[in-house]
Amino acid sequence: MNFSLTMSPSDLLLLLPEILLTVWLCGILIVDFSFPRLPNEQLAYLSVAGLAATLGCLVWFDVTGVAGTLFANMFVLDRMALFFKMFIVGSTILVILASVDYIHRFRFFRGEYYFLIVMSALGMMFMASANDLLSVFVTLEFSTFGFYVLVAYLREDMASNEAGIKFFILGVFAAGLLAYGISLVYGETGKLVFSDMKSAQATPGLAIGFLLIFGALGFKIGAVPFHSWIPDTYHGSPTPVTAYLSIAPKGAAFAILLRMFFVALATFKPIWVLLLVAASVMSMTYGNIVAIAQKNMKRLLAYSGIAQIGNVLIGLAAGTKMGNDAILFYLLTYLFANLGAFAIIIAVSEAIGSEEIDDYSGLGRRSPFLAFSMLIFLLSLAGVPPLAGFIGKIYIFVAAMKEGLYVLITVGLINIVISMYYYLIVVKKMYISEPHDPSPITVSGPIKAVLYVCLAGTLVLGIYPQPFADWVVSATMMFSGLADPAVSLPVPPAATPVGG
Amino acid sequence: MGDYALLYILFAPFVGAIALIFVSNRQAMLVRGIAAGSAFICLLASVYLFYAYDHVKGGFQFVQKFEWSRQLGISLHLGVDGIGTPLVLASGILLFAGIFVSWHVKDRAKEFYIWLLILAAATIGVFMSLDLFFLYFFYEMSVIPMYLLLGMWGSHTKKYNEMTDPEGLKQRDSVGFIFNFGSNSKEYAAMKLVLFLSAFAVAAFMGILLIYKYSGLNTFDILVLREHANLMNIPVLGTTLDKIIWLLIFFGFASIAPLWPLHSWSPVGHAAAPAATSMLHAGVLMKLGHFSIIRVAFEILPETTRELMPIAAVLCMFSIVYGGFVAYYAKDTKYVIGYSSSSHMGYVFLGMAALDYISLTGAVMYMFAHAMATGMLFAMAGWVYDQTHTRDIPSLGGLSNRMPFISGCFVIGCMASIGVPGTINFIAEVMIIVGSWNKYPFQVIVAVVGIVLTLAYLFKMMRGLFYGPMDQKYSHAHDAVSAVDRLPLLIMITVSIGFFFFPMHLYNVVRSGVDPLIAKITRVVPVAAETTGLRLEARGDNNTPLADRSVPFASAPVSGGRP
Repeated sequence: MNFSLTMSPSDLLLLLPEILLTVWLCGILIVDFSFPRLPNEQLAYLSVAGLAATLGCLVWFDVTGVAGTLFANMFVLDRMALFFKMFIVGSTILVILASVDYIHRFRFFRGEYYFLIVMSALGMMFMASANDLLSVFVTLEFSTFGFYVLVAYLREDMASNEAGIKFFILGVFAAGLLAYGISLVYGETGKLVFSDMKSAQATPGLAIGFLLIFGALGFKIGAVPFHSWIPDTYHGSPTPVTAYLSIAPKGAAFAILLRMFFVALATFKPIWVLLLVAASVMSMTYGNIVAIAQKNMKRLLAYSGIAQIGNVLIGLAAGTKMGNDAILFYLLTYLFANLGAFAIIIAVSEAIGSEEIDDYSGLGRRSPFLAFSMLIFLLSLAGVPPLAGFIGKIYIFVAAMKEGLYVLITVGLINIVISMYYYLIVVKKMYISEPHDPSPITVSGPIKAVLYVCLAGTLVLGIYPQPFADWVVSATMMFSGLADPAVSLPVPPAATPVGG
Repeated sequence: MGDYALLYILFAPFVGAIALIFVSNRQAMLVRGIAAGSAFICLLASVYLFYAYDHVKGGFQFVQKFEWSRQLGISLHLGVDGIGTPLVLASGILLFAGIFVSWHVKDRAKEFYIWLLILAAATIGVFMSLDLFFLYFFYEMSVIPMYLLLGMWGSHTKKYNEMTDPEGLKQRDSVGFIFNFGSNSKEYAAMKLVLFLSAFAVAAFMGILLIYKYSGLNTFDILVLREHANLMNIPVLGTTLDKIIWLLIFFGFASIAPLWPLHSWSPVGHAAAPAATSMLHAGVLMKLGHFSIIRVAFEILPETTRELMPIAAVLCMFSIVYGGFVAYYAKDTKYVIGYSSSSHMGYVFLGMAALDYISLTGAVMYMFAHAMATGMLFAMAGWVYDQTHTRDIPSLGGLSNRMPFISGCFVIGCMASIGVPGTINFIAEVMIIVGSWNKYPFQVIVAVVGIVLTLAYLFKMMRGLFYGPMDQKYSHAHDAVSAVDRLPLLIMITVSIGFFFFPMHLYNVVRSGVDPLIAKITRVVPVAAETTGLRLEARGDNNTPLADRSVPFASAPVSGGRP
């Protein structure tokens, strides 16, 4: 394997968002060190400005159709990578806005908090572009590195420390699995780039290698049986970090999963479909049933997140272009609903200092806005029309139905009903139970902004999904070899290949 | 309004609900005004729709189609036929009446009206959907507002309030929803209703997805699917696919109707719900079940319907008799009316099961008639509860002295519910009985017994509430005197009696929707022949065993509701 590092300016253009964010990252650190008296909000808005610039740059790439590969195919910039980068950067902006109030709980290193968040975002942006096993390993570890610190950021809090340790040990274990899997695959095929493995022979070593890689990625997305770190880590970490952890790494990991299954392993589809069906059924059922017993909002959302990932895996198991569209669409709906729900948890715990479901009693009287938003987000997660989650679920079910995955759809539909029960328990607390303490709850500006964005996303995606569906369809154009010919696809703007 | 009538009907309540979000609860009159205004627009448009529907032309009219998702093949395809039109009208009337019935809601009135409007709009959406996806969309959307309406503004039954152990209460509410059938808290009722209906709705959705897949047309459009979907004779699991789809759809939607073994959520839900919600719930929400079965199973799988509809003929007997007996022994006013509704819905299933022109027309007219009758009864039960704070019949009595207007209306409501001549229910009941007699004589006898039972339990309840000695603690109860309180009852009574004397338009409209359906179900029609001269063929073709028993078009009464 040989690649040259002589890069032309047009090559650098492909890396522009990442370069921009790296420079900005250093800027944040410098500002934090140089002006210790600067209020933390300023630093948050500075980070948001940098991320917004990056987002603008990504949108510009998407509109003008910039695409290409770098470093001998290690780094690929296509429309799917752009989609996931926008997904990651967008969720990072919302998380930073949601943490403006929360940050006062940290006794030390408030400035570095933003630095670490943005650094993880940078790592995940590289993950979305990773196109060979080495870059998968490097970017995955790069993004997780920031999270190891962030999860344990509440230094005085035992739960946060426990969460950090758990996350670190299991995360390093997953990294070991990943490295071992990569070495096995490389040993069997002598290839690292996904697209070069198409003609690989099915040997036991290759199967075990990919199984280990899937395990490591399953750890990232929190699919059963790789979920065991999720509840405690979600419970213990600072809530904005939990929100971040529940969205962005899952999106980035799905970018890699899609490339791995559809580019490298396309020929072994009948085998990996079984694997995904098993993981999906277990995730949905386990997540939903255990969520019923939860008493803490963050744990509830942790288990519901496991179940939601089971739903996404249905789309992956469909193994078609349409299934991939559905995954991207579903992740979008999940982004808004889940981040919105976590933003409310932050707002409520700022006011009453508790995250127990029981303390949400009478929220409908104490803050009608928060309760209404929570209702919308939970119902969207449950999949109730006319909200985004419903369309996401239907999209996935239709894609799976076309492939005849009846068992999976039946399990998924039954799980909708189960999940409705525990979401409605929270609704019951908020609206039907009387408050323990009737004092009203006020919501701060940044949280309100996050909630408005998430509400708008949840409603618009549910009521008028067509433009977003077109977007995800064009984002997964690279898989159009799997396309169902009956589906009419909009023609994407012609890609202008640059670099190479 | 013209062509856009359906959009007005569907979106007026939604727009009203959105407008209410921006109004403060302190401006009580403004809140009520917006709710009543949007309901009034909805009512006006549905009255217009009913009278502008051209029954000579028939078919789906006022059609609107907007592409919604290219990838999934979904479009917002709206349109009404002769079956949907009266049900839309019934929803409009009950929504308008329901706003006035709940005029005195004090606690979070704004939220109450928002959810009530969304509930009604979603229900109306089902009646006008010509797209399977949107049918399910609106159906599912109508379930969630019920949870909040029951939970926030509902009431516990008497027994529940007497339970003193707090731990017992807690357990009944949390895990009790599966195991504890004794709990009667409103939370329990609301949760049971939502989970029950959602569970069966996803079964129906599985059927819809199977139709989508096996038709291979990449569309959810009912009009396309009923012409081109070929789902027959696909072997699967030892039977054929169409039977599986039909059973999924039938039982999925029959749960909300509610057919006998699937009814248990319904009386509990009625009892816990506030008056206006009970009205909408019993008046139109339950009809979603029959309507969806007609719209999906009858339209898309006519031959399977002919084969499997006897299932409904068997189960409807249990519905009628079981509901009647439980209503007779129930001691709670709303339980009586709730079980009576579930018993009366058995008549509709009987009318549907006979697959006959007259009986199905009667069934659809009965849905409309029952909406008015049960709406009145629930409104008055709600009034009595508001005045006396109890629904326990034995402890009430002699209220006719205190509330002469209400007791007078109650008599009319009971008459309508029983089906005494003078109300539209009579016409509908007679049509069901006459139409089904040839095919299901035994069931018809059961239905007549059911009418006697209805007479017994409604008179028993009327005597218990309004006559006999009165407990002095209810001496402060007062009658509905203001126009606002009397208006909803008067509207429903006028409609119920008015259609008895002028049933022709209703009959013609319903008939224009029923005719092509029954013609399609009772005969095997090649797709090509169906578009040309349907009526002539329906008269001439007596080859199939069912068609000779059905009343041909020419001899059908065209000048009177009662054959």
